[in-house]
Amino acid sequence: MANCDYEIVFEIVCQSFKPKRVNISLKYTLDCSTDDSLSQNNQPLTLSGSSPLPDDDWQEEHKRLAELDERDGLGPSSPSIVISDVEDRGGEGELAESLARLILEADPAIAGVGATERPCPSLSLPPGHHPSSMLSYQQQQHLMRSRGSAPISQMNSHSIWENSMGFGPVSVTPGLVTHMEDSPLMSIIKEVGLPKLPPQGRNDEGRDLSERVPPPRSSSPVIGSPPVRAVPIGTPPKQPMSHALNHQTHHPTAVHVRAPVQHRYPPPFPERLSPNTLLNIANSPLCRGPFPPGVGPVLSQIQRAQLLNSQVAGFARGGPAPPLLPGGGGFRPYFSGPPPPHGHRMGPLPPHGPPNHTPPIRHNTTHLHPQHRRMLTQRMQSRGGDRGRTGGDRRSRDPYSNLMTQKEKDTDPYLDDYYYQNYYEKMEKRQERERDSSKKEHTTKLITPQVAKVEHTYRPVQFAGSLGKLTVSSVNNPRKMIDAVVTTRTDDEEKREKQVWNKRRQILYTVEKMYSLLLEVQDFEKRFVQAPEEDREALLEQHKTNTVQLCNSLREKEWDDRVSDEQCVMIMSVRKGKRLISRLLPFLPSPQATAIVMAIARNLPALAKKDKQDQVLCWLMEPVSAVIQSLSSSALTDLLQELQGNEGQLATVLHNKFGVTLLYLILSEGERMQSSDPNCQLMDDNRWTELVFSVTRELLSVPSSSLSPPLFTPSNLLSLFSRYVDRQRLELLQNKLQISALTR
Amino acid sequence: MNYVPGTASLIDDIDKKHLVLLRDGRTLIGYLRSIDQFANLVFHQTVERIHVGKKFGDIPRGIFIVRGENVVLLGEIDVDKPCDTVLQQVSIEEILEEQRLQQQAKQETEKVKMQVLKDRGLSIPKADNLDEY
Repeated sequence: MANCDYEIVFEIVCQSFKPKRVNISLKYTLDCSTDDSLSQNNQPLTLSGSSPLPDDDWQEEHKRLAELDERDGLGPSSPSIVISDVEDRGGEGELAESLARLILEADPAIAGVGATERPCPSLSLPPGHHPSSMLSYQQQQHLMRSRGSAPISQMNSHSIWENSMGFGPVSVTPGLVTHMEDSPLMSIIKEVGLPKLPPQGRNDEGRDLSERVPPPRSSSPVIGSPPVRAVPIGTPPKQPMSHALNHQTHHPTAVHVRAPVQHRYPPPFPERLSPNTLLNIANSPLCRGPFPPGVGPVLSQIQRAQLLNSQVAGFARGGPAPPLLPGGGGFRPYFSGPPPPHGHRMGPLPPHGPPNHTPPIRHNTTHLHPQHRRMLTQRMQSRGGDRGRTGGDRRSRDPYSNLMTQKEKDTDPYLDDYYYQNYYEKMEKRQERERDSSKKEHTTKLITPQVAKVEHTYRPVQFAGSLGKLTVSSVNNPRKMIDAVVTTRTDDEEKREKQVWNKRRQILYTVEKMYSLLLEVQDFEKRFVQAPEEDREALLEQHKTNTVQLCNSLREKEWDDRVSDEQCVMIMSVRKGKRLISRLLPFLPSPQATAIVMAIARNLPALAKKDKQDQVLCWLMEPVSAVIQSLSSSALTDLLQELQGNEGQLATVLHNKFGVTLLYLILSEGERMQSSDPNCQLMDDNRWTELVFSVTRELLSVPSSSLSPPLFTPSNLLSLFSRYVDRQRLELLQNKLQISALTR
Repeated sequence: MNYVPGTASLIDDIDKKHLVLLRDGRTLIGYLRSIDQFANLVFHQTVERIHVGKKFGDIPRGIFIVRGENVVLLGEIDVDKPCDTVLQQVSIEEILEEQRLQQQAKQETEKVKMQVLKDRGLSIPKADNLDEY
């Protein structure tokens, strides 16, 4: 077999779409030898009828043939060229014929098709058919394959790997090395096989138009809400999407398929023949270059014919005769073959090989631990790799496969105990029945779907083409409308705060009450005048009551007649309270008024502090001065003493405007007393003198900055001071206090 | 695919050809279609294979459902592996005949044995009857 050159013209009979039959002759040479001497004998049949070419000219040959093919499409006359070329050959033409006949006879399908036309190998193309377009790859492939496998079986019929078909797996016949010389095939392949590109013009237009369309939204049409999914986001698809994967893994890349050659259907394989090897055979005629590396024996034509015969006979014996369908469709020669010698046959035509087992697809492992998932993937891959190659394709043909659903497979016996579950189901039903017997309507049960516990990560709606993230508020994505800051306070703090608030509120309440009384009192006179005679009594009574009440309110305790210091201070801590007091003072009886003023003087620092914000102590000035002027000398002295108070109080007093003014007032009153009434008791005890002395001392020592300017300066201060201090100090005081001698 | 790691599972054996030996001594070969937690098995295109000596015969049985407790052992059959055994397949009738003969012979010997034992005053219960209450 070695070193023989053969060329075989394969004629492929295709059934056209139209009723006419078209026969196209293709040829390529099966050349096993690189021996030049021999190759010279080899006269390749070229369509154009030219002399045998050295190998370099295949390009030119291709070009010529390409032209030829184009020409072929033009008219019916073209086929004649083809055929005439075939006929030109001498012995080779006969060879071709005989082989063609063999093929046609042998293959029942082809025979059926080409029956009428057979006698002459000169087959005519029906008019108007483009030869290349008639070529159906399926048929071509089929024939290639059939021819390819046949020779092998002939060679290795005794091998232990022999299968039911009588084939052995092909150690690939270095024998069947093919030499694809040319171009006619290639060109046709190229024409038919290449995917059609859309004309450029249309494409551009299409693209332009699409660009004008506004960018699509990257999310659901319902604003804000995520798309409703029965299955959570991220679930791998249910359908075995690995059909393509399947074929890729199970039909490994031993297939050196050039671009144009496409498998449009899952390639059929005989039962025992490894897909690997078959493909090798099948495609080797197409795929080998002009100078294949290894040269092996090439079958004689007879052997090949026999091979074909047996191969094809397998058809006849086996399953349904494969119909040669044009274009698409499932061209699947079903290699059922004779029953295997060792009786693996099971009953009526069992499916071949193990049933379908697509590489295990994880439908939903989201509930599993991620490491668990990873383990499963690894196992899956390793198993798929090991087993896929041998039996994977067979499983694709098992119609009874996958009876057990994935859900059923996923049953965890540790969790799903049939008896346990059923028992509890029954129990629930029983209970429900008992309950429902009383009610009329049946409470509908909420049946929640068993969705895997997966984290539903919600991705907010995003508008494609927008800058930044525009969030739209929705039920699932509520936007913060109010920035409510929660300040947590401890219990103690809260209590204290509450207390403070309560007290303040109480004060305010008291003030309000008093105010209302005060107003009534103030209005009394007016009303009294206006009121008729009979009502005056009542009014008077009321007035008295009011007054009394007012006085009472100033008292801290019911039985104590004295004005409560604390109460006063409390009232005056509030702005309104100060106002109240200032208005109240004129209406109060003298002792109480005095007491209040005393209280003021006593608590001046505190009041001053509280008044810092409001600065309304000065409201009190007028009534207080009125009160002071009505004071007795002893009272005045007391007042001054009160004002001086403790150590350092005077300094604070001086710091405060009101305090200074009050001081001045007192002093001026004292002075007035002294100057007006020589017998005034002011000088009876030394208190007054001493107090004044201390005042002056303080006045002198206090820095000018901390001395607050008074509201007004009484005129007689100078004379007062002149009584008690020497000239020097007097001047100093004068300067400090800016007492002008002239202001009298 | 094993969903519970560290355990054995029949899930990977689904849709594959298996041979199961039952407690009553039957051998079934078929495509395992479905399983459950008790190892109840559903076989498709089952064939009962009877072995007698070097001969065997296959009786097609269709669909079998085997209760898990009756399974002695179960194993996958590798269809790819070449089957070069010395066993010779015969027709159903023949194998049934052979089986009958075998059973008969066995019974005969058993009977003789029992008789001998009885004569000596010993009574050994037959093991295969123990299961049946």
